[in-house]
Amino acid sequence: MNPLIFTTILMTVLLGTMIVMMSSHWLMIWIGFEMNLLAIIPILMKKYNPRTMEASTKYFLTQATASMLLMMAIIINLMHSGQWTITKVFNPTASIIMTSALAMKLGLTPFHFWVPEVTQGISLTSGLILLTWQKLAPMSILYQISPSINLNILLTMAVLSILVGGWGGLNQTQLRKIMAYSSIAHMGWMTAVLVYNPTLTMLNMLIYIMMTLTMFMLFIHSSSTTMLSLSHTWNKTPLTTTLILITLLSMGGLPPLSGFMPKWMIIQELTKNSSIILPTLMAIMALLNLYFYMRLTYSTSLTMFPSTNNMKMKWQFETKRITLLPPLIVMSSLLLPLTPMLSILD
Amino acid sequence: MLKIIIPTIMLMPLTWLSKKNMIWINTTTYSLLISLISLSLLNQPSNNSLNFSLMFFSDPLSAPLLVLTTWLLPLMLMASQHHLSKEPLIRKKLYITMLTMLQTFLIMTFTATELISFYILFEATLVPTLIIITRWGNQTERLNAGLYFLFYTLMGSLPLLVALISIQNLTGSLNFLLIQYWNQALPDSWSNIFLWLACMMAFMVKMPLYGLHLWLPKAHVEAPIAGSMVLAAILLKLGGYGMLRITTMLNPQTSFMAYPFLMLSLWGMIMTSSICLRQTDLKSLIAYSSVSHMALVIVAVLIQTPWSYMGATALMIAHGLTSSMLFCLANSNYERTHSRTMILARGLQTLLPLMAAWWLLASLTNLALPPSINLIGELFVVMSSFSWSNITIILMGANITITALYSLYMLITTQRGKYTHHINNIKPSFTRENALMALHMTPLLLLSLNPKIILGFTY
Repeated sequence: MNPLIFTTILMTVLLGTMIVMMSSHWLMIWIGFEMNLLAIIPILMKKYNPRTMEASTKYFLTQATASMLLMMAIIINLMHSGQWTITKVFNPTASIIMTSALAMKLGLTPFHFWVPEVTQGISLTSGLILLTWQKLAPMSILYQISPSINLNILLTMAVLSILVGGWGGLNQTQLRKIMAYSSIAHMGWMTAVLVYNPTLTMLNMLIYIMMTLTMFMLFIHSSSTTMLSLSHTWNKTPLTTTLILITLLSMGGLPPLSGFMPKWMIIQELTKNSSIILPTLMAIMALLNLYFYMRLTYSTSLTMFPSTNNMKMKWQFETKRITLLPPLIVMSSLLLPLTPMLSILD
Repeated sequence: MLKIIIPTIMLMPLTWLSKKNMIWINTTTYSLLISLISLSLLNQPSNNSLNFSLMFFSDPLSAPLLVLTTWLLPLMLMASQHHLSKEPLIRKKLYITMLTMLQTFLIMTFTATELISFYILFEATLVPTLIIITRWGNQTERLNAGLYFLFYTLMGSLPLLVALISIQNLTGSLNFLLIQYWNQALPDSWSNIFLWLACMMAFMVKMPLYGLHLWLPKAHVEAPIAGSMVLAAILLKLGGYGMLRITTMLNPQTSFMAYPFLMLSLWGMIMTSSICLRQTDLKSLIAYSSVSHMALVIVAVLIQTPWSYMGATALMIAHGLTSSMLFCLANSNYERTHSRTMILARGLQTLLPLMAAWWLLASLTNLALPPSINLIGELFVVMSSFSWSNITIILMGANITITALYSLYMLITTQRGKYTHHINNIKPSFTRENALMALHMTPLLLLSLNPKIILGFTY
């Protein structure tokens, strides 16, 4: 794609999300979402083949539906409150419709079906943008309307997302689908604590974005989209295998890596609010996620699977540039001792 | 406590910056020095604990375990030299780094004051152990073993996290030193029963309790020698240590909640001892013997009398040293014949007489011969369980008999009789191996002269 055009489109995506995050008028928020959606379609279709077209179409249809539902909720809110400012939503119906719309945008169960298929159909870099940047805008709206969200619906969606994200990923060998299911599960964790302490949602979002960025960068570096091709990285850059191990264990939420911090904080917040069974259930279901991450680490770093290539040096074509990988890796694995600093958020 | 933790962390740069011919020498020497520092902790002047800071403390229960942990690192390094000799330098350094990381986490776990810090470090010990088992184990079953190990422990310990956080909400602090004085009885309700279960299951899986012990034979057998040593000697004791710490907060439910686990342990120790009599795999035999000894510790901890706590602590230290020594002996067989089958290498006394002496000493301490500390531990546990309920003496007595049976079976099968014709060209014992056995045996024998340092805080 022409670099000038590509920059313009990328900037439009950024602008769309920024408009969503910084507006106080509901209509501007809707405009921001639409701008974001329309501009990201060409990015998703960087390679022009039927697979990408299908993925982009699915993405467009679901997101457009979600925007329309959002518009309906906005209008109902306008009807009942007479104003367009973003505060809590004044009508329970509008609140439920808005929650469903934002869940559709995020990929929470039961609206999660588009996430694996869209992520699988697009290239790794586009998938990266899809799973990290696109989650910021809906999450910021959820944060702002969090006082009025119906707790039952949100918690049901969260728990089901963690379950679906765990179980759905078990049978996958394609890396993009694995990341998609991991995204569904993490979104579940984030929305579970939204009503209790929205700051923890933002913390979880931050750490999730760092870990997902790291994982995608490592996949792009080794140009691998399946588990099989990832298991050949010992041949190209053996250090990458260790980095993949650390980042995957962090995503699974194992102490002493930083992926444990959001889970711990969320469990703490939920327990403080006297729900005990819910965090226990969520924590145990996160183990399903850990299982397929472990399978990925086994094939990549801890064993050497019978592979097609036995030579020490594999032919490399070009070194892809990986931006900011060392700081990302450090941040996605070593942040746990900084947890007491979270008290500044009070 | 930083005087032990920081040198241990610094062992990692030492490994990476050492020259090729100096890595083993450097790491073994410095880890021995660190273990000498930790010996000073054994001097506990009063019944109160030695408090070093807000985060670390040392107490007559944790000091012997800490000394055992730091003592074991040089031994693990010595034991691993042979099987790593053919690996490239970076992989050797990675292995030593994993061991050092594990050591750091273990030291911090045993000295943690805050229970959530204890939990995080308890979980943190899983990652290096998993990497050691899966990356450096020898058979294909190690993949399954690693998964079983990780998931059994995590399933048990996630409810523990929730329980600890809810206790923190209730009582305001999880600092162990405060809880000792602050302790109130838990009110009687269904949710407190689940709280009890959540607190104890993590340690039951780690110990392991008889019904939840499936991970142990897999993990112990598939791990390389250092992995087996640290698993048997220390990681199982983490469960015992955790149980000893957390039962102070869990009265009065323990009086009735403990029954199912007591039954499982009492029956399980007989079952696992009996299975040892029919094992063909040498490491598997030692693994099941670990389960049996740990079942005694579980019984002791759940009975909660002063004598049983003394017995539990003594048994943990004694079993740590004995089990680790048995794994080293089994490994010396494995390195020569590359097989773990016991009957493949028979009659070793004729070929390696000094090693046979170590085998004899290890088997005798395993069956708790007087006056070793194994006997002191077992005797205290048997006596306190007799006072808890007279009938348990039958099961305990049967267990002691069967333990003696399988220990002697293992000794006689590997050492006595005519040697098999195919092992007459095995290498003689290395000095390193003899030193390893001596370093295991000497603390064990010396402690029988002054067992009060390992008898814990109820002495």
